[in-house]
Amino acid sequence: MNADEIQAIFFAECEESLAAAEQGLAACKAGTHDHDTINAVFRGVHSIKGGAGAFGYIALQGFTHTFETLLSDVRDGTVAITDGLIDLMLGALDTLSDHVAAARGLGETPDDGALQAELTAAMAANAGVAPMPAPAPVVTAAVAPAFDDDDGEPLSDFDFSAMLDDIAGALDAAGADSTSGDAPVDAAWAVKVRPHAGAMRNGSEPLLMLREILDLGGQCVDCDVSQIPSLDTIDPGTGYLGWTFALPSGVAQAAVTDIFDFVGDGCSLVFGDATPMPPVRPQATSIKAASPPATPLATLPSSAAVAGAEPPIAPVPAPTSGVATPPAPPAMGQSIRIELGKLDKLIDAVGELVIAQAMMAQRLAGDGLAVTEELTMLEGLTRDIQESAMAIRAQPIGSVFSRVPRILRELTSSTGKHVRLEVSGESTELDKTVIERLGEPLTHLIRNAVDHGIEPAEARLAAGKSPEGTLTLSAEHRSGRILIRIGDDGKGIDRDRVLAKAVEKGLVAPDAQLSREEIDQLIFAPGFSTAQTITNVSGRGVGMDVVRQNVKDLGGRITIESEPGKGTTFTLTLPLTLAISDGMVVNVGDQTLVVPLANVVESLRPEPGEVKGLGANRAMINVRGRFIPVLPLHIAVGAAGAVEAAEHGVLIVVETEGAGRAALLVDAICDQRQVVIKSLDTHYRSVEGVAGATILGDGRVALIVDVDGLVAHSLADIGLSEAA
Amino acid sequence: MSNFSETQPAPNLTPTSEPACMNTTTRILTVDDSPSMRALLNHALTTQGFDVAQAEDGLAALDWLALNEVDVVITDINMPRLDGFGLIERLREGSRHRDRPILVLTTESSEEKKARARAAGATGWIVKPFDPAKLVAAVRRIAH
Repeated sequence: MNADEIQAIFFAECEESLAAAEQGLAACKAGTHDHDTINAVFRGVHSIKGGAGAFGYIALQGFTHTFETLLSDVRDGTVAITDGLIDLMLGALDTLSDHVAAARGLGETPDDGALQAELTAAMAANAGVAPMPAPAPVVTAAVAPAFDDDDGEPLSDFDFSAMLDDIAGALDAAGADSTSGDAPVDAAWAVKVRPHAGAMRNGSEPLLMLREILDLGGQCVDCDVSQIPSLDTIDPGTGYLGWTFALPSGVAQAAVTDIFDFVGDGCSLVFGDATPMPPVRPQATSIKAASPPATPLATLPSSAAVAGAEPPIAPVPAPTSGVATPPAPPAMGQSIRIELGKLDKLIDAVGELVIAQAMMAQRLAGDGLAVTEELTMLEGLTRDIQESAMAIRAQPIGSVFSRVPRILRELTSSTGKHVRLEVSGESTELDKTVIERLGEPLTHLIRNAVDHGIEPAEARLAAGKSPEGTLTLSAEHRSGRILIRIGDDGKGIDRDRVLAKAVEKGLVAPDAQLSREEIDQLIFAPGFSTAQTITNVSGRGVGMDVVRQNVKDLGGRITIESEPGKGTTFTLTLPLTLAISDGMVVNVGDQTLVVPLANVVESLRPEPGEVKGLGANRAMINVRGRFIPVLPLHIAVGAAGAVEAAEHGVLIVVETEGAGRAALLVDAICDQRQVVIKSLDTHYRSVEGVAGATILGDGRVALIVDVDGLVAHSLADIGLSEAA
Repeated sequence: MSNFSETQPAPNLTPTSEPACMNTTTRILTVDDSPSMRALLNHALTTQGFDVAQAEDGLAALDWLALNEVDVVITDINMPRLDGFGLIERLREGSRHRDRPILVLTTESSEEKKARARAAGATGWIVKPFDPAKLVAAVRRIAH
């Protein structure tokens, strides 16, 4: 693993952290102010800060530090949570998101000076009313935008001038030593070490520390064994031994104190040959009332007894530790990270496996071995593997939904409309590729809803509605597909205006008789825009047709339900995956086609006379009291030698989004199986009425019918030919 | 169901100047909810010949420790489900890990934070963002 890969992990994590923080703040906004919620926000920001420091993103680190300090205050209760504060934090989160983007090289580093000042002010302003007795340190820490406590070099722990004094003092001592002749020639100063019981607690091992002094070039010149009591009174946990080390002048005193940093007052250190060995601290007497933390060693004068003669063993653990939130959200579950490329390779291989399995089944069937137990088993396993592989690629749609609050905030500030967001079904899972490509159309639909759908507060009040608009966003699984709804409670589509506009633009004939659905669909026409003045929110009318194209590219459909005065709902129907789907294999003359099972309602073999002609080209069938148009598939696809009389073929009743139900006339149904979808666009070109292609068990290529497109197109054609 | 990965020492082991604790490979469990921090720790430690396992929070660490032996534990403090101090407390409760060297990852090196880590039962600490050399030095200082 190299630095780039770790960095990539960091950025992926940033996205998750931002989403988690966003979610937490949204909960805050909704009135949940508990510790866990705030801590989730804190942890998100904290985690970004940690990585930012490690990877050297100074601006990002600086901003997260300020933000984190405020969040820390909020979490600790020193800063009260107000609506204003939450808005400020939401704004900070947006800027943080920009900082992360800048760190990735996807944008400019935002100018956060004013915001940092505001965040700092929030700490300072609230510190005065805070219930905490000593808010002052918080304020001073906050005012300094620097992050000197984080640079890995704890400068504050070491008083540099005092350290220089120490060295000077040690040099003096060395002069005295050299005359005595007892010490080694280069011994410049001495340190006396007496570990106490505390040096052996918490898994510490004094021996390792003594070895480290030796590694520094120190020499053990004396071991004080005078304090060892008689065997019957010995307490193994007490430090009875003391060592005197001579160290060369080149070694700084700080290097020695650093070794004993972890044990703090669990070990007494004194510097200078003349100072007496610190006394033994019996365990029994050492447990006293809590005293202030140990004084930093190096700040004390040289050649004097220092550090930890008195303070006790560490106080009893305060209730600072503990079990955090027991119900872990699913996103926090146990997981591993896999490179997407590897996963795609697996999915591809699974696709090939499905084909290979089908080919083998066909071959065996040809040999008269159609129903063998092994084959059934293989089929079941193949399906299991495929479903598991799909599940790996599946992600909750929440990652897309979590971006919506920010979009809404920007919209509300630019339009001045107040919009409340209601989200449901965030945990609905769908393919990662679909999720990634969903962001753009979703953003556009939301902008459209706020800009064109929801009215300004005055207009809403006049219409007897709440001044605050509501945007609902939902996702759900339905029969192998995902439905995503974006609804507003605005004014609905003004069909008269849409029609007038379409006529004006020359999109429809002035005398055209269009159904409500057809008028609604006009807003997806290229170049259509109903806004009287072009706003910078919804753009210049290039959006909605792009939205429809995006959704179509994902193998999905988009439908509109709108009621004047009540609101508009856009429904996106998307496939669970782009790679494999269930299909019905049918024969039409000399062609084999696949009808996606998601569209199929039922199939039936009509009796003679059941299919009734209606005009020259139209035929209908009455299916349990409901008249459904019959479409001979061979005409649509131009197949030769197909069954022409309905009673000799099979009717497949399909459900479409735009045109309701229709019955496709085919020669015969061959099979129902999974098909691996191969894009026609990438291998050939996009063809109207064809969703893609697949490879059949016998190795032949079959086209997958785009039922919606085909039915809508065929009905329109019939309509035209009738009109002619 | 496990959410940790064991990393074998990198094949291009750089020879260390300290043979004392290198007779057998020192095994380290790193506990952090941040994948990038785990990756950084993993990188810094495996390149120095340590055997590194990862867990994403205190509970995952306890699960792993129930089935595996380890020489040193390095843990973050603020984590979901079970935080670092909670993990140390749980480990110190039993005899098996009472003397286990445990380092906490902290963003501050103030005396207050050190005292708190000590009180919680940590053997030592590593200040984030860490210098890989200091990380290794801290591990060697406490690895038995």
